[in-house]
Amino acid sequence: MSISTTLYNTVFRRNSVFVTTVFAGAFAFGIGFDTAVTTFYDRWNRGKQWKDIRHKYAESEE
Amino acid sequence: MAFNGLKKAVTLSPSVRTLPSGVPAAPLLNLAARAPADPHAHASGAGPRSDVPPRWTGGVSRTSSGLVSKTFTTLSPTTPSSVRFMHTTPAVKDAPEVPDFSHYRANDNDNNRALSYFMVGTMGLVSASAAKSTVTEFLKSMSASADVLALAKVELELASIPEGKNVVIKWRGKPVFIRHRTQAEIDEARDVKWQSLRDPESDDARVKKPEWLIMLGVCTHLGCVPIGESGDYGGWFCPCHGSHYDISGRVRKGPAPLNLEIPAYEFNEAEGKVIIG
Repeated sequence: MSISTTLYNTVFRRNSVFVTTVFAGAFAFGIGFDTAVTTFYDRWNRGKQWKDIRHKYAESEE
Repeated sequence: MAFNGLKKAVTLSPSVRTLPSGVPAAPLLNLAARAPADPHAHASGAGPRSDVPPRWTGGVSRTSSGLVSKTFTTLSPTTPSSVRFMHTTPAVKDAPEVPDFSHYRANDNDNNRALSYFMVGTMGLVSASAAKSTVTEFLKSMSASADVLALAKVELELASIPEGKNVVIKWRGKPVFIRHRTQAEIDEARDVKWQSLRDPESDDARVKKPEWLIMLGVCTHLGCVPIGESGDYGGWFCPCHGSHYDISGRVRKGPAPLNLEIPAYEFNEAEGKVIIG
Protein backbone atom coordinates (compact mmCIF):
# COMPACT_ATOMS: atom_id res chain seq x y z
CA MET A 1 0.00 0.00 0.00
CA SER A 2 1.41 3.34 -0.98
CA ILE A 3 2.03 6.12 1.48
CA SER A 4 -0.78 8.25 0.08
CA THR A 5 -3.32 5.49 0.59
CA THR A 6 -2.09 4.96 4.14
CA LEU A 7 -2.36 8.68 4.80
CA TYR A 8 -5.87 8.78 3.38
CA ASN A 9 -7.03 5.82 5.40
CA THR A 10 -5.57 7.03 8.69
CA VAL A 11 -6.21 10.77 8.58
CA PHE A 12 -8.56 11.90 5.84
CA ARG A 13 -11.17 9.19 5.86
CA ARG A 14 -13.05 10.31 8.99
CA ASN A 15 -13.84 13.99 9.27
CA SER A 16 -13.50 13.94 13.05
CA VAL A 17 -9.96 12.65 12.78
CA PHE A 18 -9.25 15.10 9.97
CA VAL A 19 -10.42 18.15 11.93
CA THR A 20 -8.66 17.00 15.09
CA THR A 21 -5.46 16.57 13.14
CA VAL A 22 -5.84 20.03 11.64
CA PHE A 23 -6.24 21.67 15.06
CA ALA A 24 -3.42 19.68 16.63
CA GLY A 25 -1.28 20.61 13.65
CA ALA A 26 -2.23 24.26 14.05
CA PHE A 27 -1.14 24.12 17.70
CA ALA A 28 2.18 22.52 16.84
CA PHE A 29 2.65 24.88 13.91
CA GLY A 30 2.05 27.90 16.14
CA ILE A 31 4.68 26.80 18.64
CA GLY A 32 7.14 25.84 15.93
CA PHE A 33 6.64 29.08 14.03
CA ASP A 34 7.11 31.17 17.17
CA THR A 35 10.27 29.31 18.09
CA ALA A 36 11.67 29.59 14.59
CA VAL A 37 10.98 33.31 14.33
CA THR A 38 12.39 34.01 17.81
CA THR A 39 15.53 32.02 17.06
CA PHE A 40 16.00 33.83 13.80
CA TYR A 41 15.42 37.21 15.46
CA ASP A 42 17.92 36.49 18.21
CA ARG A 43 20.53 35.33 15.75
CA TRP A 44 19.98 38.29 13.46
CA ASN A 45 20.31 40.73 16.39
CA ARG A 46 23.06 38.90 18.16
CA GLY A 47 25.00 41.18 20.49
CA LYS A 48 22.45 43.98 20.37
CA GLN A 49 19.83 42.83 22.85
CA TRP A 50 19.86 43.45 26.56
CA LYS A 51 20.08 39.79 27.37
CA ASP A 52 23.25 39.57 25.29
CA ILE A 53 25.02 42.53 26.94
CA ARG A 54 23.55 42.21 30.41
CA HIS A 55 26.60 40.41 31.83
CA LYS A 56 28.77 43.45 31.11
CA TYR A 57 26.74 45.66 33.42
CA ALA A 58 25.14 43.31 35.89
CA GLU A 59 28.49 42.34 37.40
CA SER A 60 29.60 45.91 38.00
CA GLU A 61 26.35 46.75 39.77
CA GLU A 62 26.66 43.94 42.26
CA MET B 1 -55.91 44.62 -61.00
CA ALA B 2 -53.10 42.27 -61.62
CA PHE B 3 -54.49 39.88 -59.10
CA ASN B 4 -57.67 39.47 -61.13
CA GLY B 5 -55.73 38.84 -64.29
CA LEU B 6 -54.26 35.65 -62.80
CA LYS B 7 -57.66 34.31 -61.94
CA LYS B 8 -58.63 31.97 -64.73
CA ALA B 9 -61.43 29.51 -64.64
CA VAL B 10 -60.48 26.44 -66.59
CA THR B 11 -62.53 23.28 -66.59
CA LEU B 12 -60.64 20.17 -67.63
CA SER B 13 -62.05 16.78 -68.20
CA PRO B 14 -60.83 14.28 -65.60
CA SER B 15 -57.94 12.19 -66.79
CA VAL B 16 -58.48 9.58 -64.16
CA ARG B 17 -61.53 7.83 -62.94
CA THR B 18 -62.19 7.34 -59.27
CA LEU B 19 -63.45 4.02 -58.11
CA PRO B 20 -66.32 3.90 -55.58
CA SER B 21 -63.78 2.96 -52.92
CA GLY B 22 -62.02 6.29 -53.47
CA VAL B 23 -59.03 4.76 -55.16
CA PRO B 24 -58.16 6.41 -58.43
CA ALA B 25 -58.24 4.01 -61.41
CA ALA B 26 -55.73 4.96 -64.04
CA PRO B 27 -55.69 2.26 -66.65
CA LEU B 28 -53.69 4.22 -69.15
CA LEU B 29 -51.07 5.45 -66.67
CA ASN B 30 -47.61 4.28 -67.52
CA LEU B 31 -45.66 4.18 -64.33
CA ALA B 32 -42.50 3.13 -66.09
CA ALA B 33 -42.40 6.25 -68.19
CA ARG B 34 -39.09 7.94 -68.27
CA ALA B 35 -38.29 11.53 -68.56
CA PRO B 36 -36.99 12.59 -71.94
CA ALA B 37 -33.27 12.94 -72.25
CA ASP B 38 -32.18 16.21 -70.75
CA PRO B 39 -28.68 17.40 -71.59
CA HIS B 40 -28.78 19.82 -68.70
CA ALA B 41 -29.76 17.22 -66.11
CA HIS B 42 -27.38 16.66 -63.29
CA ALA B 43 -27.76 12.95 -63.54
CA SER B 44 -26.09 11.39 -66.48
CA GLY B 45 -28.52 11.17 -69.35
CA ALA B 46 -31.83 9.45 -69.39
CA GLY B 47 -32.68 6.65 -67.07
CA PRO B 48 -34.29 6.12 -63.73
CA ARG B 49 -33.95 9.03 -61.35
CA SER B 50 -31.34 8.59 -58.73
CA ASP B 51 -33.44 10.12 -56.00
CA VAL B 52 -36.33 7.73 -56.46
CA PRO B 53 -36.64 5.45 -53.49
CA PRO B 54 -35.95 1.82 -54.26
CA ARG B 55 -38.82 -0.45 -54.97
CA TRP B 56 -38.50 -2.40 -51.73
CA THR B 57 -39.43 0.57 -49.65
CA GLY B 58 -42.84 0.63 -51.25
CA GLY B 59 -44.12 2.69 -54.11
CA VAL B 60 -47.02 2.98 -56.45
CA SER B 61 -48.30 0.00 -58.40
CA ARG B 62 -51.20 -0.64 -60.66
CA THR B 63 -53.49 -3.41 -59.63
CA SER B 64 -56.74 -4.66 -60.95
CA SER B 65 -58.58 -2.74 -58.28
CA GLY B 66 -56.81 0.51 -59.08
CA LEU B 67 -53.72 2.49 -58.21
CA VAL B 68 -52.16 1.34 -54.96
CA SER B 69 -49.42 3.06 -53.02
CA LYS B 70 -47.61 1.06 -50.43
CA THR B 71 -44.99 2.07 -47.94
CA PHE B 72 -43.32 -0.59 -45.87
CA THR B 73 -42.57 0.80 -42.47
CA THR B 74 -41.25 -2.48 -41.21
CA LEU B 75 -38.68 -3.73 -43.55
CA SER B 76 -37.71 -7.27 -43.99
CA PRO B 77 -34.20 -8.01 -42.85
CA THR B 78 -31.58 -7.10 -45.34
CA THR B 79 -29.23 -9.81 -44.27
CA PRO B 80 -30.36 -13.36 -44.78
CA SER B 81 -30.54 -14.36 -41.12
CA SER B 82 -28.66 -12.76 -38.27
CA VAL B 83 -28.23 -14.22 -34.85
CA ARG B 84 -27.92 -11.79 -31.99
CA PHE B 85 -25.38 -12.80 -29.46
CA MET B 86 -26.10 -11.13 -26.13
CA HIS B 87 -22.95 -10.66 -24.17
CA THR B 88 -21.37 -8.25 -21.76
CA THR B 89 -17.87 -8.23 -23.09
CA PRO B 90 -17.09 -4.80 -24.46
CA ALA B 91 -16.83 -4.78 -28.15
CA VAL B 92 -13.42 -4.54 -29.59
CA LYS B 93 -13.27 -1.36 -31.56
CA ASP B 94 -10.95 -0.33 -34.28
CA ALA B 95 -10.24 3.01 -32.60
CA PRO B 96 -11.14 2.60 -28.95
CA GLU B 97 -10.90 6.27 -28.00
CA VAL B 98 -10.49 9.13 -30.30
CA PRO B 99 -9.02 11.47 -29.14
CA ASP B 100 -6.75 9.61 -26.79
CA PHE B 101 -6.69 11.20 -23.31
CA SER B 102 -4.53 8.62 -21.66
CA HIS B 103 -1.55 10.93 -21.86
CA TYR B 104 -3.36 13.50 -19.72
CA ARG B 105 -4.85 11.09 -17.21
CA ALA B 106 -3.31 10.64 -13.78
CA ASN B 107 -1.50 7.38 -13.35
CA ASP B 108 -2.49 7.12 -9.69
CA ASN B 109 -5.77 8.50 -8.40
CA ASP B 110 -4.90 7.75 -4.74
CA ASN B 111 -2.00 10.16 -4.89
CA ASN B 112 -4.16 12.95 -6.21
CA ARG B 113 -6.87 12.32 -3.63
CA ALA B 114 -4.39 12.38 -0.76
CA LEU B 115 -2.82 15.55 -2.14
CA SER B 116 -6.20 17.30 -2.41
CA TYR B 117 -7.10 16.48 1.16
CA PHE B 118 -3.63 17.46 2.29
CA MET B 119 -3.96 20.88 0.69
CA VAL B 120 -7.39 21.35 2.29
CA GLY B 121 -5.99 20.35 5.66
CA THR B 122 -2.99 22.64 5.32
CA MET B 123 -5.25 25.54 4.46
CA GLY B 124 -7.33 24.81 7.54
CA LEU B 125 -4.19 24.55 9.66
CA VAL B 126 -2.86 27.90 8.54
CA SER B 127 -6.28 29.52 8.94
CA ALA B 128 -6.65 28.13 12.45
CA SER B 129 -3.19 29.43 13.38
CA ALA B 130 -3.95 32.85 11.95
CA ALA B 131 -7.30 33.04 13.75
CA LYS B 132 -5.72 31.96 17.01
CA SER B 133 -2.91 34.49 16.84
CA THR B 134 -5.31 37.24 15.77
CA VAL B 135 -7.46 36.65 18.83
CA THR B 136 -4.44 36.30 21.11
CA GLU B 137 -2.78 39.48 19.89
CA PHE B 138 -6.04 41.39 20.17
CA LEU B 139 -6.50 40.27 23.77
CA LYS B 140 -2.85 41.04 24.51
CA SER B 141 -3.35 44.58 23.24
CA MET B 142 -6.05 45.08 25.86
CA SER B 143 -3.96 43.99 28.81
CA ALA B 144 -1.78 46.47 30.66
CA SER B 145 1.72 46.96 29.34
CA ALA B 146 4.82 46.24 31.40
CA ASP B 147 5.57 49.86 32.33
CA VAL B 148 2.02 50.37 33.59
CA LEU B 149 2.26 47.17 35.61
CA ALA B 150 5.60 48.27 37.05
CA LEU B 151 4.12 51.59 38.18
CA ALA B 152 1.13 49.86 39.66
CA LYS B 153 3.21 48.18 42.38
CA VAL B 154 4.80 49.59 45.46
CA GLU B 155 7.60 47.97 47.38
CA LEU B 156 8.26 48.76 51.01
CA GLU B 157 10.92 47.58 53.39
CA LEU B 158 9.21 46.30 56.51
CA ALA B 159 12.25 46.42 58.75
CA SER B 160 12.13 50.22 58.72
CA ILE B 161 8.77 50.26 60.51
CA PRO B 162 9.08 49.86 64.26
CA GLU B 163 6.47 48.05 66.29
CA GLY B 164 3.40 50.08 67.13
CA LYS B 165 3.91 52.61 64.34
CA ASN B 166 1.88 53.60 61.32
CA VAL B 167 3.25 54.27 57.87
CA VAL B 168 1.26 55.89 55.09
CA ILE B 169 2.43 55.45 51.54
CA LYS B 170 0.91 56.40 48.23
CA TRP B 171 -0.22 53.61 45.96
CA ARG B 172 -2.10 54.30 42.72
CA GLY B 173 -2.93 57.79 43.96
CA LYS B 174 -4.40 56.59 47.23
CA PRO B 175 -2.94 56.36 50.69
CA VAL B 176 -2.17 52.95 52.11
CA PHE B 177 -1.91 52.42 55.85
CA ILE B 178 0.64 49.95 57.09
CA ARG B 179 0.67 49.29 60.82
CA HIS B 180 3.14 47.18 62.66
CA ARG B 181 0.85 45.93 65.40
CA THR B 182 1.98 45.01 68.86
CA GLN B 183 0.98 41.75 70.43
CA ALA B 184 -1.52 43.58 72.67
CA GLU B 185 -3.16 45.14 69.63
CA ILE B 186 -3.36 41.77 67.89
CA ASP B 187 -5.04 40.26 70.94
CA GLU B 188 -7.42 43.18 71.12
CA ALA B 189 -8.35 42.79 67.46
CA ARG B 190 -8.92 39.09 67.89
CA ASP B 191 -11.01 39.32 71.05
CA VAL B 192 -13.71 41.42 69.46
CA LYS B 193 -16.97 39.60 68.76
CA TRP B 194 -16.82 40.37 65.10
CA GLN B 195 -20.04 38.56 64.25
CA SER B 196 -22.06 41.40 65.71
CA LEU B 197 -20.22 44.19 63.86
CA ARG B 198 -21.75 46.28 61.10
CA ASP B 199 -19.47 44.68 58.50
CA PRO B 200 -18.67 41.36 60.14
CA GLU B 201 -15.14 40.28 59.30
CA SER B 202 -12.66 38.41 61.45
CA ASP B 203 -9.16 39.75 61.99
CA ASP B 204 -7.73 36.60 60.40
CA ALA B 205 -9.50 37.39 57.16
CA ARG B 206 -8.06 40.91 57.08
CA VAL B 207 -4.36 40.18 57.55
CA LYS B 208 -1.89 37.76 56.10
CA LYS B 209 0.50 38.13 58.99
CA PRO B 210 -1.08 39.25 62.30
CA GLU B 211 1.61 41.87 63.02
CA TRP B 212 1.18 43.62 59.67
CA LEU B 213 -2.09 45.35 58.97
CA ILE B 214 -2.17 46.75 55.43
CA MET B 215 -5.24 48.55 54.14
CA LEU B 216 -6.39 51.41 51.95
CA GLY B 217 -6.57 54.67 53.87
CA VAL B 218 -9.82 55.77 52.34
CA CYS B 219 -12.87 56.07 54.53
CA THR B 220 -15.65 53.92 53.14
CA HIS B 221 -18.15 56.62 53.87
CA LEU B 222 -17.21 59.48 51.55
CA GLY B 223 -13.53 58.93 50.87
CA CYS B 224 -11.71 61.04 53.43
CA VAL B 225 -8.40 59.90 54.83
CA PRO B 226 -8.81 58.72 58.45
CA ILE B 227 -6.37 59.79 61.15
CA GLY B 228 -4.31 57.04 62.74
CA GLU B 229 -4.02 56.14 66.41
CA SER B 230 -7.17 57.95 67.37
CA GLY B 231 -10.83 57.32 67.81
CA ASP B 232 -12.77 55.43 70.46
CA TYR B 233 -11.40 52.04 69.46
CA GLY B 234 -7.69 52.75 69.31
CA GLY B 235 -7.54 52.55 65.56
CA TRP B 236 -8.47 55.19 63.02
CA PHE B 237 -10.83 58.09 63.13
CA CYS B 238 -12.30 59.87 60.16
CA PRO B 239 -12.54 63.59 60.89
CA CYS B 240 -15.06 64.32 58.16
CA HIS B 241 -18.12 62.60 59.59
CA GLY B 242 -16.81 60.82 62.63
CA SER B 243 -16.38 57.21 61.67
CA HIS B 244 -14.39 55.14 64.14
CA TYR B 245 -12.29 52.18 63.04
CA ASP B 246 -10.69 49.68 65.37
CA ILE B 247 -7.15 48.31 65.33
CA SER B 248 -8.11 45.89 62.58
CA GLY B 249 -9.60 48.64 60.40
CA ARG B 250 -13.19 47.57 60.98
CA VAL B 251 -15.85 50.21 61.27
CA ARG B 252 -17.28 50.40 64.77
CA LYS B 253 -19.06 53.69 64.97
CA GLY B 254 -20.18 56.44 62.65
CA PRO B 255 -21.72 56.59 59.18
CA ALA B 256 -19.19 54.39 57.31
CA PRO B 257 -20.89 51.26 55.98
CA LEU B 258 -17.88 49.03 55.44
CA ASN B 259 -14.49 48.21 56.91
CA LEU B 260 -11.40 49.79 55.43
CA GLU B 261 -10.52 48.04 52.21
CA ILE B 262 -7.62 45.58 52.00
CA PRO B 263 -5.52 45.86 48.81
CA ALA B 264 -3.81 42.91 47.13
CA TYR B 265 -0.35 42.52 48.61
CA GLU B 266 2.25 39.89 49.26
CA PHE B 267 5.32 39.53 51.40
CA ASN B 268 8.77 38.98 50.03
CA GLU B 269 10.29 37.01 52.87
CA ALA B 270 13.78 36.87 51.44
CA GLU B 271 14.23 40.64 51.23
CA GLY B 272 11.87 41.52 54.07
CA LYS B 273 9.63 43.57 51.83
CA VAL B 274 5.95 43.92 51.14
CA ILE B 275 4.75 44.41 47.61
CA ILE B 276 1.41 46.12 47.28
CA GLY B 277 -0.39 45.67 43.99
